[in-house]
Amino acid sequence: MAMRQTPLTCSGHTRPVVDLAFSDITPYGYFLISACKDGKPMLRQGDTGDWIGTFLGHKGAVWGATLNRDATKAATAAADFTAKVWDAVSGDELITLAHKHIVKSVNFTEDSNYLLTGGQDKLLRIYDLSKPEAEPQVVSGHTSGIKKALWSSDDKQILSADDKTLRLWDRNTMTEVKAINVAMSVSSMEYVPEGEILVVTYGRTIAFHSAETLEQIKSFEAPATVNSASLHPEKEFIVAGGEDFKLYKYDYNTGEELESYKGHFGPIHCVRFSPDGELYASGSEDGTLRLWQTTVGKTYGLWKCVVPGKNFVYIFGKTLLHHNLSKSYTTNSQLKVRPARVTSFL
Amino acid sequence: MCCCLCPQEPAMKVPVSVIRLPRGPDGTSRGFDPNSPRYQALSPVSISTAGCGNEASLEREQQGRVALRERYLRSLFAMVGRTIHFTMYERVNVSAFFDASDIDILNFQVSDLQTPLGVHREALLRCSDIISYTFEL
Repeated sequence: MAMRQTPLTCSGHTRPVVDLAFSDITPYGYFLISACKDGKPMLRQGDTGDWIGTFLGHKGAVWGATLNRDATKAATAAADFTAKVWDAVSGDELITLAHKHIVKSVNFTEDSNYLLTGGQDKLLRIYDLSKPEAEPQVVSGHTSGIKKALWSSDDKQILSADDKTLRLWDRNTMTEVKAINVAMSVSSMEYVPEGEILVVTYGRTIAFHSAETLEQIKSFEAPATVNSASLHPEKEFIVAGGEDFKLYKYDYNTGEELESYKGHFGPIHCVRFSPDGELYASGSEDGTLRLWQTTVGKTYGLWKCVVPGKNFVYIFGKTLLHHNLSKSYTTNSQLKVRPARVTSFL
Repeated sequence: MCCCLCPQEPAMKVPVSVIRLPRGPDGTSRGFDPNSPRYQALSPVSISTAGCGNEASLEREQQGRVALRERYLRSLFAMVGRTIHFTMYERVNVSAFFDASDIDILNFQVSDLQTPLGVHREALLRCSDIISYTFEL
């Protein structure tokens, strides 16, 4: 029985959703944070999309948001020239870190003790969260605004992307290890620790680089400009979305396009797989987040599997037959098949 | 005449069913429900430290907390099997035999709970509903 994907729409934001991030799996499930141009990032339950809370405090568009591994802390990067650290359990603002320009990206180390920020001032900053009053370590070198900065290799290195380059830095020496030029402006970057893979998008290209050498492993072309892509935890699939409002799912190994979905009413700015790979979330210019199933039809979260054969009837002329032929009903007229959601037994 | 008296797939795709839609913001608060299990388990303790930061007073306060906590846990042991009188919100007073507490002291398991509506053989009392309780040693 062929099933059609039913995306779950999470509303609440009033302006475009520009970034989203999942936590790891915690004893309370996993969580999702969304960054929005309305300045009010939101925390949601990852498997259902249920709203948990809104972080109030920023005075400008929030460009980047992240959670620490166990979703006890959140960090956000905003156009009000600050990055903020929040208690993700109570929603309270813990630390405000002043910058000299719009902040675009924030990332916690694995132990949540350090925060990496990057933004329009072209500097990478490393804050020690146990001493937030202290000056951060500053790494310079980028020649245009930093779009994304991520810890890599067990927090021993830093990966950063600006308009034209991807750079790798050593954390201890604070120096650049490698830099490569990118053909077009980088729209997104995702770091996958298992396998040390970097997923980068620019133009219509979804590229995979080694996080250790920055060398390109492979790349696919999408039908339209791609703004974000994410690699499945088991490395079976890639999902991507961009300017044509559609989401695409590719086989990571062959590059074959497996599925595509319409649904958003505006360009897609971010897509991410959940930590268990069962769903992926997309954030769009239309102000919504949507959750999509990786395996369409599977019972998970709010999706319920309707077992084929158990709930369906067969139609033979004027007779309705129960699936195991245990009952039959006759009508006076020809039976018409209507597309409908069958949710009840006869 | 015949449509599909067979395990063949019909031409139309059936949309996946959903139990309900994701819940959105409630419009009145910023959320982070203090009654959620995660909040109750992970949120900071209700009494924050009074220590002014110097090591010695912090250490003393910590020792005090340790002693108080141990006393409280021992009191829970002493309660087992005894009749406890609970004073709860909304002027509710009930009594029951105390059986056990959960690890976060969020719920008490009791038996023979005497309520105005009758006796409950086994019951779970939410600690957040209890104002105070007393028992005879």
